Amino acid sequence: MTAALGEDRTYGVASDPRTATVIAFMVKRSLIRIRRIPAAFLPSLAMPVFQLIAFGGAFAGALAYAKINQALDWYVPLSCLQGAAFGAMGLAFATVNDLRTGFFDRLRMAPGGRAATVYGPLAASMVRAIIPLVIVSAVGFIGGAALPGGVLGLLTLTAAALGVAFCASGFGLGLALRMRTLAAATLTQFAIFFALFLSTAQMPLDFIQGWVKPIARLNPMTNVLRLAREGFLGEVTWQDTWGGLLAIAILGTLTTVYAVRGLRSFDK
Amino acid sequence: MRRFGDIVAVDGVDLAVQEGEIFGFLGPNGAGKSTTVRMLTTLLRPTGGRAVVAGFDVATHPAEVRKRIGVALQDAAIDPLMTGNELLDLQAVLYGIDRSRARLRAGELLERVGLTAAAHRRVGTYSGGMRRRLDLALALMHEPVVLFLDEPTTGLDPMSRLTLWEEVRYLNKELGTTVLLTTQYLEEADQLADRIAIIDNGRIVREGIPRELKAQVGAPTLLVAVPDEQRERAREVLVAFGDIRPTAEGTLGVGLRDGAEGIAMVVRSLDQAGIRLHRMELNEPSLDDVFAEATGHSLEGARSRLLEPAAGAPPTKGRRRRGGRK
Amino acid sequence: MTVALARQPIHEDLHQSAVRQTLALARRSVLGRLRQPAALAPSFVFPLFFAALSASSYSRVKNAPGFPKVDSFLQFGLAAAVMQGAFFGATSAAADLAVDIEQGFWERLMTSPVHRTSIVIGRLMSSLVVGALQATVFMGFLAALGVRVRSGPIGIVSIVVSASLVSLAMSTLMSTFAIKTGSPEVVQGMFPLVFVLMFLSSTFMPRELMHGWFRHVVDVNPISYLAEGMRGFVIERELSGWRFFEAIAIPSIGCVLALLLCLRALRRRLAQM
Repeated sequence: MTAALGEDRTYGVASDPRTATVIAFMVKRSLIRIRRIPAAFLPSLAMPVFQLIAFGGAFAGALAYAKINQALDWYVPLSCLQGAAFGAMGLAFATVNDLRTGFFDRLRMAPGGRAATVYGPLAASMVRAIIPLVIVSAVGFIGGAALPGGVLGLLTLTAAALGVAFCASGFGLGLALRMRTLAAATLTQFAIFFALFLSTAQMPLDFIQGWVKPIARLNPMTNVLRLAREGFLGEVTWQDTWGGLLAIAILGTLTTVYAVRGLRSFDK
Repeated sequence: MRRFGDIVAVDGVDLAVQEGEIFGFLGPNGAGKSTTVRMLTTLLRPTGGRAVVAGFDVATHPAEVRKRIGVALQDAAIDPLMTGNELLDLQAVLYGIDRSRARLRAGELLERVGLTAAAHRRVGTYSGGMRRRLDLALALMHEPVVLFLDEPTTGLDPMSRLTLWEEVRYLNKELGTTVLLTTQYLEEADQLADRIAIIDNGRIVREGIPRELKAQVGAPTLLVAVPDEQRERAREVLVAFGDIRPTAEGTLGVGLRDGAEGIAMVVRSLDQAGIRLHRMELNEPSLDDVFAEATGHSLEGARSRLLEPAAGAPPTKGRRRRGGRK
Repeated sequence: MTVALARQPIHEDLHQSAVRQTLALARRSVLGRLRQPAALAPSFVFPLFFAALSASSYSRVKNAPGFPKVDSFLQFGLAAAVMQGAFFGATSAAADLAVDIEQGFWERLMTSPVHRTSIVIGRLMSSLVVGALQATVFMGFLAALGVRVRSGPIGIVSIVVSASLVSLAMSTLMSTFAIKTGSPEVVQGMFPLVFVLMFLSSTFMPRELMHGWFRHVVDVNPISYLAEGMRGFVIERELSGWRFFEAIAIPSIGCVLALLLCLRALRRRLAQM
């Protein structure tokens, strides 16, 4: 094929957009969507809160046996991470929806395409993760969760939640860009579920026996959970922190690459 | 060239669009129009060949191409949850237009496409015509050098269609924007395009100025409607006057070798053969004839006017039978 | 306007055949569900996964003071798996019904000579069968992993019966929402609520390990007694009347109540048309 259309002219006002501006706008778009269809966002808020209450009550005795006297200290961080990860599913849904309507093509054609289709949604998922983080923590503190780690503890929890949101949505986005059907959202949900629960989600590593133990030991989520929980279970220490940060850095890089390559698969 | 696995979707496409012209890209669904447009707009990487848009190769400099093109997509792909204003803002951000300039530009464009009052509403509440107009405004936000309009009026009512045509003409004449328009409506191409290309089965089968292409087809087409049972006899008679041409169902078409003067002879011969003539119509060559001559089939949706029912209902068997009883 | 269409034949035996129709519809509904393994799979896989997960996570908890005497945590978790399966399955059955309604099932229902309640009850019967099947599969699976049902064959049969009753009660309740709203999304959306009700009971942990306000909630939640009844057959050698009451009578009462609600919803929906 050969085609030649028009000449180059110094006409028009388009220039290379600033990536940060594009990302900020995509975050704004995501928040606009939450405000306009709150029903789609509500489950990712309600489920972690429900789970916090249910687990906090049902497994309090089991945790007490493992010397964790306040079950909420154990479950507030878990539910925060889950709320953060749920956003990834919403992101996969939104992406598949954009693909179906053709809106995605509009973004992809623009000079700021890469930022709008991948980095923007990743940033949006982190901003969205703050909402369940705040609400779940609030419910937890009202219910009697303690925070001996203080402000540092809140920081490590926030780092873990944003990290999980980032990694989970990178994965969900990569999957959505490859599968291009709503099944991608369901698969993302399953993957998050297994990653979370095949770790120290329920009990401390020392108390786990049998098949889950070796998996939980290797699962990077165990490190991330330790990071999220350290301020709730005691003082924040570097020893409990670095593993989680490293896990987030590695997983975040891998999932971002996965998402960007998913976008590239469109050109081929 | 574009290959999907073993299937070559677009191969024999060679086209050159001059600066400042409206170029019509015509063809039935599945002919390769969309694939070509997707390649020219950097959505799809060509697997071979070369495409230069606004002076840049789409394969090697897609980023440069993107800054210079505006695209109104098929089905006006817009997020229904966002408002017109928000979408214009997004477009400005995506194309790196600074805020104050974007404000001015958005106001101007909304005014021109008549959406100023609706700009604060969610796009989900817009009518089909409003969506297309917003889509056009979005495509123009960054004052593109080349504007791609992919089936811009498919599914629009006649009024909205006319408004859109006017706007395209204005852009081209007043601003000198190069326009590449894909359509399956011959009339649209005839009305708007300076030059056209006809694509069929992934190949360009004709390219040129509509007037010249029509002249090349030459002979005008005589369309005759006869009772169904006499159709074959009539065909035998008509062959003597020129080529039988594909037409819409229910009519016979013949390319008159001798031009309009041949009509009297045709009528006489049909009469002598005892064929009852319901109606006849002489059509100067149209783009449909160009299309039919080039591809061997009539373009979907480009029906002969002769049997087009006034009320807009499709010509049915019953209708023809009633005609026969007269 | 007068319209004279062919006169509707009068089926005098319509009421006698209602039972037969219901059974035929039930059979079709069971086959329909078994033929959609993808829809059925989660209600088999998830409970077993949870059972395996908690068996590993909580294996040491069985030594906690107040925990009933069990061979393993897996043995303790059998009843929980059966209950989850029934809850999961019931939701998908009700969502199926909602899809039917959405796709114009009611218009057909109105014009068919089949007794209206037969269609709904026929559908619900499939839950009875699927519930029994699930309980059997779960017990077989866990038996292979060494879990014993201590009360023997009578206990096993009782668990199967209990599971099908729970399944029927739950799917009837969820079908009420399906009939009321006609929306599969709403039915699916109810599921987390139902699941939370199960967590607010002693299904997953013994009541002895629960304290404070949560314990009060668990004490009044009928699901606690249901789960304990079913679990009683697994971990207790002696059969007791109380366990039969918990495992069989509670879900039976639930079935009756749910059926009343469901039929009322059905009447209202038909009256609106």
